[in-house]
Amino acid sequence: MRYDLIVIGMGLSGLMSAKTAVDAGAKVLVVGKGTGGLCLFTSGIDVMGALPAGAAMGEALPRWIERHPDHPYAKMGWEGVREALEAFAELFPPPYGFAPEGEGNCLLPTGAGTTRPTYLVPATMRSACRLEKERTLLVGFQGFRDFYAEYAAAGLKCRGENLAIPEIAGRNNSATSLARLLEDLPFREQVAAEIVRRLRGETHVGFPALLGFRNPMEILKDLEDRTGTAIFEIPILPPSVPGMRIFRRFRQHLIARGATFLLGSPVSRILRNGPSCTAVEILHPPVTQVYEADRFVLATGRFMGGGLCADEETMREPLLGLPLSASLPREHWFERSFLEGREHAIHGVGVVTDGDLRPLDGAGRPYAANLWIAGTLLAHQRWIDEKSREGIEIATGYRAARKALAS
Amino acid sequence: MHLKTEVIIIGGGSTGTGIARDLALREIPSILLEKGDFTSGASGRNHGLLHSGARYVVSDREAARECITENRILKAIAPHCIEATGGFFVSLPEDSLYWRDQFIRSCMDVGIEAEPLQRDDVLQRDPAINPDLVAAVRVPDGAVDPFLLVIENARDAERNGAKCLTHVEVTELLAAGGRIRGVMARDTITGEPHDIEAPFVVNATGAWADHILKLAGLHLGLILSKGSMLITNRRLCRHVINRCRPPGDGDIIVPNETVSILGTTSVTIDDIGRIEVTPPEVSRLIEAASHLIPAVKTTRFIRAYAGVRPLFQFADAADGRAVSREFVLVDHGARDGLSGLITITGGKLITYRLMAEKVCDLLCGKMGVRVDCKTAVTPLPGAERPFDLSGRLKEFGDVPLQGRGETLCDCELIGRGEIEGILRQGRLRNLQDILHRTRLAKGTCQGAFCVYRLLGVLQEQGLTGGGEPHEILKGFLEERWKGVRPILGGLSLREEELIESIYRGLFNL
Repeated sequence: MRYDLIVIGMGLSGLMSAKTAVDAGAKVLVVGKGTGGLCLFTSGIDVMGALPAGAAMGEALPRWIERHPDHPYAKMGWEGVREALEAFAELFPPPYGFAPEGEGNCLLPTGAGTTRPTYLVPATMRSACRLEKERTLLVGFQGFRDFYAEYAAAGLKCRGENLAIPEIAGRNNSATSLARLLEDLPFREQVAAEIVRRLRGETHVGFPALLGFRNPMEILKDLEDRTGTAIFEIPILPPSVPGMRIFRRFRQHLIARGATFLLGSPVSRILRNGPSCTAVEILHPPVTQVYEADRFVLATGRFMGGGLCADEETMREPLLGLPLSASLPREHWFERSFLEGREHAIHGVGVVTDGDLRPLDGAGRPYAANLWIAGTLLAHQRWIDEKSREGIEIATGYRAARKALAS
Repeated sequence: MHLKTEVIIIGGGSTGTGIARDLALREIPSILLEKGDFTSGASGRNHGLLHSGARYVVSDREAARECITENRILKAIAPHCIEATGGFFVSLPEDSLYWRDQFIRSCMDVGIEAEPLQRDDVLQRDPAINPDLVAAVRVPDGAVDPFLLVIENARDAERNGAKCLTHVEVTELLAAGGRIRGVMARDTITGEPHDIEAPFVVNATGAWADHILKLAGLHLGLILSKGSMLITNRRLCRHVINRCRPPGDGDIIVPNETVSILGTTSVTIDDIGRIEVTPPEVSRLIEAASHLIPAVKTTRFIRAYAGVRPLFQFADAADGRAVSREFVLVDHGARDGLSGLITITGGKLITYRLMAEKVCDLLCGKMGVRVDCKTAVTPLPGAERPFDLSGRLKEFGDVPLQGRGETLCDCELIGRGEIEGILRQGRLRNLQDILHRTRLAKGTCQGAFCVYRLLGVLQEQGLTGGGEPHEILKGFLEERWKGVRPILGGLSLREEELIESIYRGLFNL
């Protein structure tokens, strides 16, 4: 069996590449050892949260890109980014969709009582966009340790309370177990009754982001009907139920379109023949399997994903030893302050590509004729500071697949 | 506040709290002043090693003899703070066997149980040790929880009549006519001034001893020697592992609760306000420790920290390590003509009780009272519950949480119930005070998940004060960063990306 495209990495960038390729009719294998940051951190789709508040994305981002000609966004421009975001959004038809609120970024509350800017807001968070603190109650669950309603409320200057639900008392409840429970009507009835009991005239209720996996909007509407309030989700400590919803939707789509989906499979080697990559070797101890393809997208992320690794002194790309944009001495990797001051230089280091996202060798020529890079492995982006993670993953995942299929 | 007492103790480390307890058991009133929290200095920044004395047995028999005596006493009075792991002094092929013979002979002379072991026997008992070893000697080294030890000393002192004021800094030593009269002090959080009258003041501030003496225009000329240590994300070994050769950098590995601690370095420093671990020190420690346990090279580190040893210079010596580790007890009446002022400094965690005993004996002599020291035979509170790591793990393996509440810290298995118990004890002025009294945040993730949860619990109890609640979280993350930044490299970069993704990414701090 030979594939048109093998995507290595199952974070958002890899999934987006695979989706783009199957939608174009290609035969795709997507292989990943884990699900990347998607299922840990993603709630909304950040594109460039660092833009000034209130700026219209379509005007401010092109100007930002002009000032950052090395940034991955510069390889496709705002038009290319927007096209990719639309391709992403079409996977999520209403009622659970992703859309901008207004022209630019929207500030959404977080579980730490801070706010953060995001661009495409999931439908379950829409009511949080214009938070009126006097009219908002945040609710958590007694015994649920990844969201403390009173703590978040103190930062957001509203009221917070923990719901006491006998069914879940006295055990460690995870976001995923609560999300599943909320899919059951009897549990939801108890939750709604508890919310009503604690309302003191509030019209909006913030809820940890775990309103079910399958039909979050149905659950949200049901809770809204039962409580007579507008409900919204708040992102909490990992794992992220909203991220898992995105993952599940991609998986469903890819499998329905005939892609082969290998989760939990680390790629140990990429085989080459002259100027081309020919196959990936996957370890399923004690078996090693080889999968061949015409084209490859590498979307392995950074250190957590295994796209980059380091010893005590140097960083490298482990699968192919691709050249990195800079070799920084270790004392320059991180700044003295974690949160304040300059950006940590290590985050700007990554794989350098040409305009088509093909990695370059030391001499500035494409490393292989049929290899493309997507996601945060790319150099010259600082997604943490830019608040651009999902935008970069979607835009470069989309473009890498388009360029690969056009070759 | 105006207070009056018999003895003022400055310093809330092991020595200071040890003195407070010793005096309390002798029914002599005292007030202890600590500018931070208990264990803020070297008592909270050491190896957690319960010395048997073997490490010093060749170079300093007197120190070794004190160690083994105190080792036995502490095992009897504070078994809940101690894990009697035993220790191996490992000889690698390049280590002198002549030194090893001398080591074994000296141990026997001093009375330290030293059992020579064959290579295979050692590897069977502790498979992590470098298989190239030639042989090893087993000695009664162990691990000690210095935080618990100090807190228990303070608690028992207070139960017996002492008073401990934390976050209170001494600003003046009051003297008249060549006699100490008391101190002026200031609450570092509220700014409230205290004047405290007492005929005796004990300066038990360790490396800060000269800072206090400067208030009276005095000076001991301590050498400050920084020792850096690294914490691994898991327990690498079952025993304390030492290199069987003259002590050097990075030749001790101590298993401590769920982690192991590697150390140490010895770097003479000028400014006690600026102590940090440098990346080259980290590399040096990893390299040296990997000779004892090869897995050190592939282990993920979770934190680096440094403590400062105060060394008293009896004679000129260039290298900090060559100076005696024995403590010094200075009677400033005899030395400087300021009677009533005593400085105790130097020494080791293991000898804190003995140091306290000597101070109290001197004080009793000056007061003209004859009461014997009781600390060698009176167990600390909590001694009836011996150290039991596996029991704790087993308890948490059960599914129902009973009264423990949700598990706040997965690395160290700390439930809400334990934290609420600490909060009930009171005297908690800031987040660090709480963290000094629990193992929460001391494990693999170094507080990345559990401190958010701790703040959630504090908020519910109305204990976060009036400020912006995430300012406390930011402060914690910056403090954590100081310990994490030096070790970032290799596998730890994954953890770093996770934490940064949460706090700078998801929470946008």
